[in-house]
This record gives sequence, C-alpha cells and structure tokens, in this order.
Amino acid sequence: MRLLLRLRSALVCLVLLSAVSTASAHHSPAMFDMSRRVLLKGNVREFQWTNPHSYIQLLVRDEAGNETEWNLEMAAPNYLYNNGWRPGTLKNGDNVVVTIAPLKSGADGGLVVEVTMADGRKLGNASK
Amino acid sequence: MTKKRTAGLLLAILVVAGCGKSVDPRAESFARLPDWRGVWIEERGFHNGISGIPDFFGKTRPFLDPEGPWTDSGRERLAPLLASFGTRKAQGWGYPMMMLSPAPLQFLVTPDETLIVNIYQEVRHIYTDGREHPSEQDRWATTWGDSIGHWEGDTLVIDTLAVREPSKFFQAGPPFSEQARYSERLRLTAPGRIEGQITVEDPQTLTKSWTYKIAYLRTPNIDRLVQDTFDNDRSEVENGAFIIAPAKP
Repeated sequence: MRLLLRLRSALVCLVLLSAVSTASAHHSPAMFDMSRRVLLKGNVREFQWTNPHSYIQLLVRDEAGNETEWNLEMAAPNYLYNNGWRPGTLKNGDNVVVTIAPLKSGADGGLVVEVTMADGRKLGNASK
Repeated sequence: MTKKRTAGLLLAILVVAGCGKSVDPRAESFARLPDWRGVWIEERGFHNGISGIPDFFGKTRPFLDPEGPWTDSGRERLAPLLASFGTRKAQGWGYPMMMLSPAPLQFLVTPDETLIVNIYQEVRHIYTDGREHPSEQDRWATTWGDSIGHWEGDTLVIDTLAVREPSKFFQAGPPFSEQARYSERLRLTAPGRIEGQITVEDPQTLTKSWTYKIAYLRTPNIDRLVQDTFDNDRSEVENGAFIIAPAKP
C-alpha cells in the first residue's frame, strides 16, 4: 500500500499484467512481483555494468518535487550485451522511462523489464 | 642445357618433392572435427531479455519437476531445496545446470578433448583421447564432475560422473546424488544450431532415467566470452527474502 501511495504521487503509473516466469539465475525472482508492471520516469544517477547483476540507479521526482533514488536490477553484462546493450548505453543524467516488476516489499526498487529514452527510443531487447 | 630442359628438370624435382611430403596426422585429426566455433546460448534462455529472467522450461525448471521420476529419497531431498529456493544464491551454474542455463558457452573442440567454457569461468574437460574415468579410489565428487567422451560420426557422446549434488552450487540445481551418471549427446544439426540431450541415471534419487532435450544457438551478438567476478553482489537476505542493497557510494 505504501508503494501504491508513493507511486500515485509520483510520475508513475501502474499496469497489471499476467504472471510471467518462475525462474532466475543468481537468485530467485521471488522478491519481485512479476505480475505487476510499474513505469518510472526519472534521471539516471548511475548505471552499474557489473556482475552478478547490472543496476540502474534512477532518481525519480514526485509532484511535490521530492526526489527518491530507486534501485533497479537487471541481468548481468553478458546478457545485456546479447541484447545490444553496452557499458555506455546509459549515461549519468539520461532521462528515461523504465518499466519494472516492483519489489514485493514495497521498497524503492524492482527488476528492469524495458527502458525507453526520453525521445521514445526503446533500448535493446534484441534477443526477444 | 637449354632453358626448356632446365625448366623440365625443376618441375620434375618439385613433383617428386610434393609426392614425398607426408600429411600431418595431427592436422588430419583436427580436420575431421566439426566446426563449433562461436558463442552459444541455450535456446530456451536465448530470449531472456534485459531482466535476465529465463522462461526456458515453462513453469518447471529442468530436473526439478515435482512430478518427475523421483524415488522417496529423491522427494525428501527435493522438498527442502524448493523451500529454501527463495533465500539461497548461486555461486555459479555447475554441472549439469551450465548446460541448461542461458549463460553463454564456448565449445573448444580438439582431437584429444573438448572444453566447454561459460562466462562464469566454469570449465568442463571432455577427454576424447580414449582414457577412462579415474578409478573410484582416484576420483572425488566435484561441482563439474569427471567427463570422458568419444565421437560417433559428428555426434559428441559424453559420460559424466562424480558430480557433487548440483543444488549445493546452484540453488535451483537438482538434488541428484553423487552416484548419478550423466550421458550427453551433442551434434551440429544446422549452421548455428547444436542439438542434444542430457540423460541422468541416479538410483538413489530417480526411479528411472530422466532426459532433457537441449539446443544451443550461435549468437551473432557476442563475439567473445568476457569473464568477470561477482564484484557487485547487492542481493542480500533480509527477513527471509532477498532485497537490493543500496548502491555503494
């Protein structure tokens, strides 16, 4: 509920989708609500091209002007590479819309499903 | 001696020299091997996307289906594994999971052995020089086991044993015992496609053999394996569930 309230006041919208996978690699995806999608609009503070996961640190500002940093998990670099990503694909300050499966805990984080640049260009899911 | 006769003599010498040149048997043995160059990804994990969430075996993971041919002992080992699944992390894939995972692989095929390497520095040595497994006294269970193989035409046939219980290394690995025996068959069936299967026999945990079909696609998107350590592990367990730890400053 806390998450829902926060998302309502921020530049966020919720989309309910059907359940997807049951599987992950480094750890179980049970921490993520894979049945839901949340759209986050914000600026990249840092893109971590690292093992065992890559991360986007995204700064999201709500309507009141309060800024929150979200921890967004992605696949490891080699999997991203296979999808057309490179270490410099995201740069600090980039304005992006990120679709995530949110953390069930309600904390500010989730699993990245899709990334769209401010100009509408979708960043690779080339293997899809 | 005329120019014509000199040229004829030189040609004769070259022909004789060429006929006497023996073909290098080592080069011949390489030439008989199939071309498995490139970087490969298991078909069902190829389309994971940027989330890294594979959906490669539908709703059940390979060799973890509760409806599988488990013995009572096998079911007893499976239950706690599934219960702890949400709070355990992988150290890597191990065997047999590295062959069933979306982690990119390379096959280095030589006459004496085939090396199978993945992006997590995991390496299998498949000896194809006719040697046997070490005797029971001389071997011990490891995460990747001991493998020997041979070629049946263009099919690589692999026999693997002495594999440590796979779930110890990878949280979603099957709870097979160290007595399990694994048989694989791999063959290039089309350009950019290797098909095969893994069959497990383990009287301690399985009532009968269990086979999974596998297929690897050569990816055009990756031209080399880039190895790295887990230097930014932010997955931590808190109150019985994983969290994403804050980014290091």
